[in-house]
Amino acid sequence: MLTDEQLVQASLQGGANAFDELVGRYQERLLRFLLTRSSCRADAEDAVQDTFISAYRYLASFDPRWRFSTWIYRIALRNLGKQRRLEYHESDEALAAEDDPMQNCIDHSERENVWLVARRLLTPEAYTAMWLRYVEDMSVKEISKSLDKSLSWTKVTLLRGRRRLTAELAVERTGASQRESYGRI
Amino acid sequence: MDEFEKRLKRDANAVQAEVSPELRSRIDASLRGVEPLNAAPVVQSSPARLWWASSLTGLVAVLVLIVVANLNKPDTDSVQQEVTAGLTEPPMPVERPFLSPNLDIRSADFTSPLEEELLKLQADIEKARENVRKDVDFTF
Repeated sequence: MLTDEQLVQASLQGGANAFDELVGRYQERLLRFLLTRSSCRADAEDAVQDTFISAYRYLASFDPRWRFSTWIYRIALRNLGKQRRLEYHESDEALAAEDDPMQNCIDHSERENVWLVARRLLTPEAYTAMWLRYVEDMSVKEISKSLDKSLSWTKVTLLRGRRRLTAELAVERTGASQRESYGRI
Repeated sequence: MDEFEKRLKRDANAVQAEVSPELRSRIDASLRGVEPLNAAPVVQSSPARLWWASSLTGLVAVLVLIVVANLNKPDTDSVQQEVTAGLTEPPMPVERPFLSPNLDIRSADFTSPLEEELLKLQADIEKARENVRKDVDFTF
């Protein structure tokens, strides 16, 4: 199985299916991430499409010293930023809960999805850093490259985000155990 | 991987993000209409390599200025000789201004306070000697 970077090289040398393979590998990952950050599913899908178009167009400028995932997430974040600016100009209305694509596409379980908690508690950049670290398994260096931030900013943001979420989950657990104990009584 | 990290991953996977066939066909169609751009050649910054050229140019300019200034400088001795050559009187050497300090100050201006002081001291010594003499005569 070829690595992402080998597929990029194959695509640059004219391999017709190489970029299709990359699209297949990343389409779901990117859509999942963008669904949690966009205001509706259609926007998330548009952002995925724009990301692959930009990646294909500028594939020759890909620096093989970096992982392909770092590069494509960077493009996706830029597209998301453009979309946000457009939305900001079009409407200032807050996102209604029923339109939230993340709310609509998570499995409804008893406890709240931790990424919903993260989105509520953290800044968009901190949320993205946490996602890239814990879902995409990126290193701190790769995250700082994707977000165009310093290494120290990334480290501090990850640490604070983790602390914040851990504290919130601890409160959630305490509340649940209290509810259980009340139930037993 | 601790429990927190497992939960983050599990909950991320709980977000349903299946790509619909419509979206995939949209992506494929848009990719077919896109031409990949060739990487732009990296332009080397010439100032970094040619730093010596500007320094050399400056040095040459300074040398040229010095040479030109020396070539155009009028020679005062030869000019004076040319001016006086047509006169009957023999050429006189041009007197160059000589600055000397004004030394017309009397030495007394510097020494008179010291002389006065010396006289006073001598008078004091004389008085002291007189007193000693009187004391000696009085004692013995």
